Order: sequence, then C-alpha cells, then structure tokens
Amino acid sequence: MQRYDYLKAIAGDVGDALVVAAGWAAREWQALRPGDGNFRPRTLGLASSISLGIALGLPRRKVIAIDGDGAFLMNLCGVPTIAWQNPPNLIHLLFDNQCYEASGASVTATVSGADAVALVKGAGYKHACWVNNPEDFRREFLAAMKRGALSFIAAKVEPGQPKLPPIRSDELENKYRFIRYIEETEKKSILGPSDHRPK
Amino acid sequence: MNADQAAKNIVGALKSARVDFVATLPDLKIVEVIRAIDEDAALKHVPLCREEEGVGICAGAYLTGKRPALLMQNAGLLNSCNALTTTCLQFQIPVLLLVYYAGDFGDRGFATVGSVTEPVLNALGLRTYVLRKPEEVEGTICGAQVLAEDSRRPVAVLLTRSVVGAD
Repeated sequence: MQRYDYLKAIAGDVGDALVVAAGWAAREWQALRPGDGNFRPRTLGLASSISLGIALGLPRRKVIAIDGDGAFLMNLCGVPTIAWQNPPNLIHLLFDNQCYEASGASVTATVSGADAVALVKGAGYKHACWVNNPEDFRREFLAAMKRGALSFIAAKVEPGQPKLPPIRSDELENKYRFIRYIEETEKKSILGPSDHRPK
Repeated sequence: MNADQAAKNIVGALKSARVDFVATLPDLKIVEVIRAIDEDAALKHVPLCREEEGVGICAGAYLTGKRPALLMQNAGLLNSCNALTTTCLQFQIPVLLLVYYAGDFGDRGFATVGSVTEPVLNALGLRTYVLRKPEEVEGTICGAQVLAEDSRRPVAVLLTRSVVGAD
C-alpha cells in the first residue's frame, strides 16, 4: 500500500478541516480533496509546526498535518512543543516509507527502527498508534476526529504514487487562497481590504 | 533600568505593536522578558525546543490572523535560516524577529555568533534595527511590526544588553 491509498480512505471524511502537507503528499492530497483549505509548505519538516500555529490560531477548527518520516525526523524537536501546547483540534498523520523519497530515496533512520509512535508518546502525545491498512487507518482517523484531543496516526507505506496532475499554484497563490478561504469560512478578516494596512 | 523594568518595557512595546502571539527560546539575558510574556494573558506564548520550528509556528499563526513574533538569541536566528528563507520569504509571511544580540560589543562569550549576526541578516535581505536605548524600544518595535506587515517579510530587531537590563 502507498500513502495515496491511505489518504484516499479518509479524503471524504475531513469536512472543512485545514490540511497541511508538503512535497509529494501535497500533490496527492490536492488531487483527493481539491480546494483552498490545503496549505503546502516548502520547508522540510515544518508541516507539523505550521499546523500547530494554525491550530492555535483557530482553536475550533480541525487541522490535519501530513508528515513523512524524513520531515518528521528533521523536525523531531517540534514534537514536544506540539505535545506541550496539546491542541485538541490537531490530528498529526505520519506516512513512513523509510526513505527520503523525493530526494532520491535514500533511507531514513526509521529503517533501523526509529519508531515514530514511540517518539511522539515519549514527547507527551496521549493518543498515538500505528495502523496496518487503510481500513484501520480510516477507523482511527474517524475516532480522532470525534475525540477532540491531539492525535497521531502512523502507517508504514510503500514508496511511490500514482500519476497525478501537477499543482498549478505557486507559494504566494497558495498562501493567499488559503488565507481567503479561512476568512470566508471563519467569517473573519485576516488581510483586510489591503494586507499591508493595519485594520 | 533593571531586567524586570526592561521586560515590562519590551512587553509593553509588543502590545502597542498589537503583537498577540510570541514563540520563544531563552537566553540568560531575556529570561525576564519571556517570563513577562508568559504571564501576560493578552499574549499567546509558545515555548520552543528549537528556533526553526518557531518560524513555522509563527507562520501558521499568521495565516489565521495572528500577529506573531519570535524571541530568541542570535544563535537561534542562525538555526532558523532555512525556515526564514523557504517559509517566510518564499511565501511572503511577516514575522517580527526579536533577537538578543549576544556577542555585541560589551558582551562576553559569544563574539563569533555576534560577528556573523548582521551579515547573515543582510544576506537574507531582512531589514534590521539595533536597539541600544530603552527609550527607543516602543517606537522601534512598533515600527518594525508595521514594516513587517507592510513588506510581508520578517523584520529583525536586535536587542542589546542595555535594552534588556543587562548593563
């Protein structure tokens, strides 16, 4: 099973959750749940930290962080920070393909046994588990959506993805559309009539 | 001005600048500032484990309408360079950077970090203001925040010994 198979299993279940995913996962998620509520970071590792900032800024909105093992390991120090803040509206997903796939597929430390669930539990996450197939993943995801507590779900996946259309928007378009989507759905002004004038 | 008064001065300036979200990592010289931030109900405080994650957290908060600042020592600024480049600059996200200027003249123990601080900020293209007088804290922090929002880029304010009450 690939990450895409897992993401496909929950694509219809996320409602209006804001989703933060980088790299190839971002393209998969955009294909599965098109729209402006998807933010695509360009800094390896920061998807989880950006998600934390969003979750703290909008405490009543579900936020989903989609991590890979390379990103997760690069920003491991962000994990205790997330646990410390303990945002009840954040669901942190990890797809562990045991390699830096987008960077040439060299293996990561998870290949030698680094266990992401053990790591987040050690950092203070109360709800964290491994799943072995998309059906169990969906069940755990739905439970996490209902739980209203910081949750982490991880799955080992095969590298690779189906052929998908490229994402057409650049970083700025992604940012503006994401912010406008939040303004519209949260009924609040973020950028105002001109984003460089104080309100 | 002692460290406690200096902390009140800086936190007052942050509130005048309408900053409402501050991620921090301590230096000995800014402990009182961080304590004052933590005790202020109008400021959401996020203590960090490493400064680069703070760039991501502040960026995420900005996307939701918060006005974020990142308070750290200049070694933390060096830790943050990739995120400042590929998150803040690439997406045009403003974050006020409050950086304790360790290794500034008159400060012992961090001369190497001090010597690269302004060159690194210049290389990143980040406008930088060095604060040396407590009476200029409010005006400079407010001005830097306006500039950050207006330019949609991080702006750095370097806090020297005299403005954190270390002299």
